[in-house]
Amino acid sequence: MKKNFWKRLGKRVAVVALAAGAAFTLAACSNSSSSGKDVKITILQGKVENNKQFKQIAKEYEKSHPHVKIEVTSIGGGTQYDPVLKTRISSGNAPTIFSLAGPADVQQFKAHEADLSDTKAAKAAQPGTLDAVKTGGKIVGLPFNVEGYGFVYNKKVFEKAGIDPNSLTTVDKLEAAVKQLDSQKEQLGIKGVFALPGKEAWIMSDHLLNPYVAQDYNGNALKLYKSKKMAFSKNADMKTMLDLQKDYSIKPVMQMDYSAQVNQYFSQGKAAMIQQGDWIYPTVEGIDKNFAKNDIGMIPIPVPGEEGKLPVGTSLYWAVNSQKSTAEQKAAKNFLDWLYTSKAGKKDVVNTLHFVPAYKGYDNYKMSDPLTSVVFNYSQKHQTTGWAFPGYTGTSWDPDVAQPNLQKYLSGKQSWDKTVKNMTDGWAKQQNK
Amino acid sequence: MKNRSLSFWLFLTPTLVALALVVFIPVIEGLFYSFTNWDGLTFTKMVGFQNYITLFHDKAFINAFWFTVGFVIVTVIMLNVIGLGLALLVTQKFKGNNFLRTVFFMPNMIGGLILGFIWQFIFTQGFQALGDALHMNWLQNWLTNETTGFWGLVIVTVWQMSGYIMIIYIAYLQNIPNEIIEAAKIDGASAWQRFTKITFPMIAPAFTVCMFLTLSNGFKIYDQNLSLTNGGPYNSTQMLAMDIVNTAYNSANFSLSEAKAIVFFVIVAAISLVQVAYNRKREEDL
Repeated sequence: MKKNFWKRLGKRVAVVALAAGAAFTLAACSNSSSSGKDVKITILQGKVENNKQFKQIAKEYEKSHPHVKIEVTSIGGGTQYDPVLKTRISSGNAPTIFSLAGPADVQQFKAHEADLSDTKAAKAAQPGTLDAVKTGGKIVGLPFNVEGYGFVYNKKVFEKAGIDPNSLTTVDKLEAAVKQLDSQKEQLGIKGVFALPGKEAWIMSDHLLNPYVAQDYNGNALKLYKSKKMAFSKNADMKTMLDLQKDYSIKPVMQMDYSAQVNQYFSQGKAAMIQQGDWIYPTVEGIDKNFAKNDIGMIPIPVPGEEGKLPVGTSLYWAVNSQKSTAEQKAAKNFLDWLYTSKAGKKDVVNTLHFVPAYKGYDNYKMSDPLTSVVFNYSQKHQTTGWAFPGYTGTSWDPDVAQPNLQKYLSGKQSWDKTVKNMTDGWAKQQNK
Repeated sequence: MKNRSLSFWLFLTPTLVALALVVFIPVIEGLFYSFTNWDGLTFTKMVGFQNYITLFHDKAFINAFWFTVGFVIVTVIMLNVIGLGLALLVTQKFKGNNFLRTVFFMPNMIGGLILGFIWQFIFTQGFQALGDALHMNWLQNWLTNETTGFWGLVIVTVWQMSGYIMIIYIAYLQNIPNEIIEAAKIDGASAWQRFTKITFPMIAPAFTVCMFLTLSNGFKIYDQNLSLTNGGPYNSTQMLAMDIVNTAYNSANFSLSEAKAIVFFVIVAAISLVQVAYNRKREEDL
């Protein structure tokens, strides 16, 4: 879900991205002279942080498959990705392979999604990972990877305080530990136990909200997407966790953004733990390589009823454009199968992209960094809960209702009861239109 | 009308074509889409005025509208007062006035986005540190609520644009013939009288231009808003332009966004035209 970070940053870099895209298209036009047998597939995808790696993999594939040409374009996630894809489609320049962020996208691009149930990758996908992209008996998406989040902690701080982070399996135990850490702030050299970024509403509305609404939908994003009512029966548990993070966070909470949370505070050892996911690893590594490699780990957020389980899910899926020629569609499917099920492809998935695979057949692989290893281990042991939030991230409820209301609560402008009521009412209003 | 010959149209065509391609056609297309349920890709039906009805019940839009109106009133006044003040200052005869002109104009050379980020740092880090050191509460927690977000935006806009407004006033100030001022001096007019009775009427056209620029700029502002507050917290500092962009790209409601954009266009055009017409008339009266 780093994509959500890009959702915010996306707009700021959109101009650059568009310019780069235009330059790329021009460049592509100049060498389009190919013989009749060759197939060219174009990829437009939303995981912009892996742009370089995807291009490298495409080159590698071209070498081993001389009749296929692959052109990769990456657009900075979420908000900016959809308009670009729409523009490409309406201007007759639709990509062969594109990415989908969840049920709302599946619905939006229905006319362009080919059935992928006959691919090897779809058959190898781990149970549950395809739930959000099944529609009308078809499978229209293949997961990029799985990602997981929880509390990313600073090992040294916990060691110094004599607390074993893996023992913090219940809310009470976590609370006691947080209070202890808070009382020893100065000895431990931290500014706060948590760093809660009040500016990045999606950290609350997507990741923190998820385990508390997901229980009502078995962690199934599609079920949530189709529901007329949001029960949100566990809202009191969410309040406890949000208050805990808020009260023991570095202040002021409402001034903190993603880069303050991850770069400024956590990576420099100023916070004991932050609520984040495995996608922050490259950022932390960029600031302090040794710290990232040796001193960080991740534990699940203790959620009553689901203790010891890590929320693991998929933020993006591959889709193949059904309006392209059969040959092109076939080449696209072959490429995706190669990437996720062949030996060379698997190696790239794990070692080049640093993806936690969403597919079976990766038993002998080892993840390369401590955070993805945690996600990989939890998913191998099946100690996971699903991501239900992609069921609402593509809808206007997320930015228009959930995020402002949660921020109002955090600023002390609104009671929790009112916040919950506004959120559930807003959902009902949107779903019953 | 006789000179509207072939060459007249020949010279006009490139501009007309360019305008049609990037302005007229998109506006007409947008107007059409605002009556449909367009999602950015396709539309399935015409919905009449539904989008326009929805937008007048849209709390976010109404909120953004009043926030923008407040912002425009404050910035128009401050920009013109400060811009004119700076212009009067640097047209005085003293050493270094050219240097000062450059300094005052400089913020305008920095792009709005970058400026927003720079000021975000000043507001959150600089103000915070200053507030801690001086024990002044009002310097702390900037940009975390609507009030500080509003004044943050005002400060950045005024800081950036007053140099530009200053340049326009300078141009007109320098056009005032010295003889008139000298004549007034001889007649015994005080400095204040010279300013109100001579300088001010003589630069009335500058006032029209600057009012227009500051008004339309205030309504259309987006990049500073994006980089400084991004509409937050809880969308309270979201201005009209940002609300329109977010309705389209965050909420994927393209047709409603088109309707909002049309309403926005009408409001800005109407206010700007009325203002120009009024000031033109006043210019003649003076």
